[in-house]
Amino acid sequence: MRGRLLAVGRAVAFVALALVLCGAIFEAAGFSAPDMFASILDGAFLSDGALLHDMRWACPLFISATGVVIAFRCGYFNVGTQGQFYLGAIGGATAVALLPGLPAILVIIAALAMGMLFGALWAFWPGWLRIRSGTDEVITTLMGNFIAVLLLVWVTSGPLKDPSGSGQVTASPPVPPAFRISNDGGVSPIILGITVAVGIAAWVLVNRTAFGVLGGLAGRNPVMVTWQGARLSRLGLGAFMLSGGTAGLAGAMEVLGPDGRLVSGFSPAHGFTAVLVGLVANLSISGSVIVALFFGGLASASLYLPVIAGLPSAAIDMINAAIALFITSRAWPSRFRFRRVAR
Amino acid sequence: MIDLIVAVLREATPMIYVAMAGVLAQRAGVWNLGLEGLMITGACAAVVLTEQTGSVALGLLGAVVASVILSALLWLVIEKLRANPIIAGLGLTGLGLGGTDLAVQAIYGSEGAVTAPAGIPTLGPGFGPFAVLDLLVVAMPVMVFALWVLLRRTRFGLRLAACGEHPFAARSVGADPARMRLIALLLGGALAGLGGAELSLGGLQIFSVGMTAGRGFMAFAAVIFGAGHPVGATFAALFFALVEYFGIKAQLVFGERAPRDFVLMLPYVATVLGVWISARLRGGVPLSSVEMRDG
Repeated sequence: MRGRLLAVGRAVAFVALALVLCGAIFEAAGFSAPDMFASILDGAFLSDGALLHDMRWACPLFISATGVVIAFRCGYFNVGTQGQFYLGAIGGATAVALLPGLPAILVIIAALAMGMLFGALWAFWPGWLRIRSGTDEVITTLMGNFIAVLLLVWVTSGPLKDPSGSGQVTASPPVPPAFRISNDGGVSPIILGITVAVGIAAWVLVNRTAFGVLGGLAGRNPVMVTWQGARLSRLGLGAFMLSGGTAGLAGAMEVLGPDGRLVSGFSPAHGFTAVLVGLVANLSISGSVIVALFFGGLASASLYLPVIAGLPSAAIDMINAAIALFITSRAWPSRFRFRRVAR
Repeated sequence: MIDLIVAVLREATPMIYVAMAGVLAQRAGVWNLGLEGLMITGACAAVVLTEQTGSVALGLLGAVVASVILSALLWLVIEKLRANPIIAGLGLTGLGLGGTDLAVQAIYGSEGAVTAPAGIPTLGPGFGPFAVLDLLVVAMPVMVFALWVLLRRTRFGLRLAACGEHPFAARSVGADPARMRLIALLLGGALAGLGGAELSLGGLQIFSVGMTAGRGFMAFAAVIFGAGHPVGATFAALFFALVEYFGIKAQLVFGERAPRDFVLMLPYVATVLGVWISARLRGGVPLSSVEMRDG
């Protein structure tokens, strides 16, 4: 318990440090840091309906973050969440486009399954290259993100193009209302239900199954796990595909839910933020719930800032990045290190 | 043929400067994924300062200083706070991408592009087809050679490699790994800043938000592809630039039949192939990846 409290305290302290750094940068750029933070707080948590908006962003973030937790616990830095999320969205939109006549419930299930499959496949090839030949997965998954962005542009301006659409942003035709799982607000019983189900399944997988326990050990000491007879390759590929699958599910849910269509370049910060959620939660599924709400708040503030407060939304990107910079720190600067009291 | 050489050189040079920063960090045992952030910071600072002061020299200096400051921050976080270099590097990249976006909006109001009144001086009309090459392109081979000498033929370079490969052994001969990493990262910061400046001030003299488009990450991949060797990384970057050139050419020749989005994917695909080939040839990341990359 004490260890867990310490971990929470450390995470909070480093997030605070990141905020201080951002405040200094805001001041240097000529913005008033107190105003900026007040507007962010307002947009994220205090204004009318802010909590509902937070949930809208927190649900997909949490679902992707469970995948991040699973992969990172196994020791695989799958930072390709963004690409897997996009592929999942493409999969969901493809299913909707291919099955227009079926009953709604079948289409929805097929679209979500297709999203998971596409996301898992987009995580499969970096996983395969990593496990078969030791190709660094950080680079391959990052490059996968860039490729997925272009793939999404191609899909929305080619095969799934909205014939009536025009203008700069390409998009698919809208998903028929019968197949939507939420309105534009993005919070509905179905979305909450799926999120809770994914959370419970991921928690059980990580904490109560051989796969989760061995994966956690493999992240720390793969050699030992091999000696114990576990198949590292199977474990690793499973972790990659599960993490891709959850990101893909989140992507398909965006298409069927709040977005209601496939738009090129939607939610560009989703993947990086999901990785952050997992890391700030110290790779714990239960911790990710709270952390996802916090980052969901920041995500909704990034829409609120430019419209209501007239401040650039890049401020939120900076806060996220600064948190990433500090969050994995394992030591205090020596001058501030707490002296251990001798008993 | 000469057109091809000139085009590839211009495309590759920013990436090569940034890759040399990656080589320095790699030698010192740091996987520097902050290169993308350093590059965009350099690109932004160079154009903004040139636009504000009218002096290209000040623009270049600003690019170097900004990138060095960010590198020092990365060193503090990795070395003093013992953060994971990969995540901290990605954070630094995000800080660079977001910070330049914020800075452009703070100074110029609307989000978008900034144009500099002047660029890095070029060779000029006396050189025929090479006239468009600017001084940083011309200095690039010299810089790569100098870095090779520094890394492979000096006491400092050998100590740096020792710090990266076996910090304990390095410490036993009196080298301080933390300090060596600081020097490597600061020197690399200067080079990455120049690479960013070449990207924005070298060609169109424009900075636009997010203009690096993964070139920093490709430079990092060039370091891996080139086995951490300055010349190897240079050829890897040239290869990526060549792929990009052929993609553009294919589009000019085949027009609509070469889908634009897939052509744009080529450099990223080439990067994946490059990293995969080097892993096949030299053995990749060992099983205990976390241990190794925590460096």
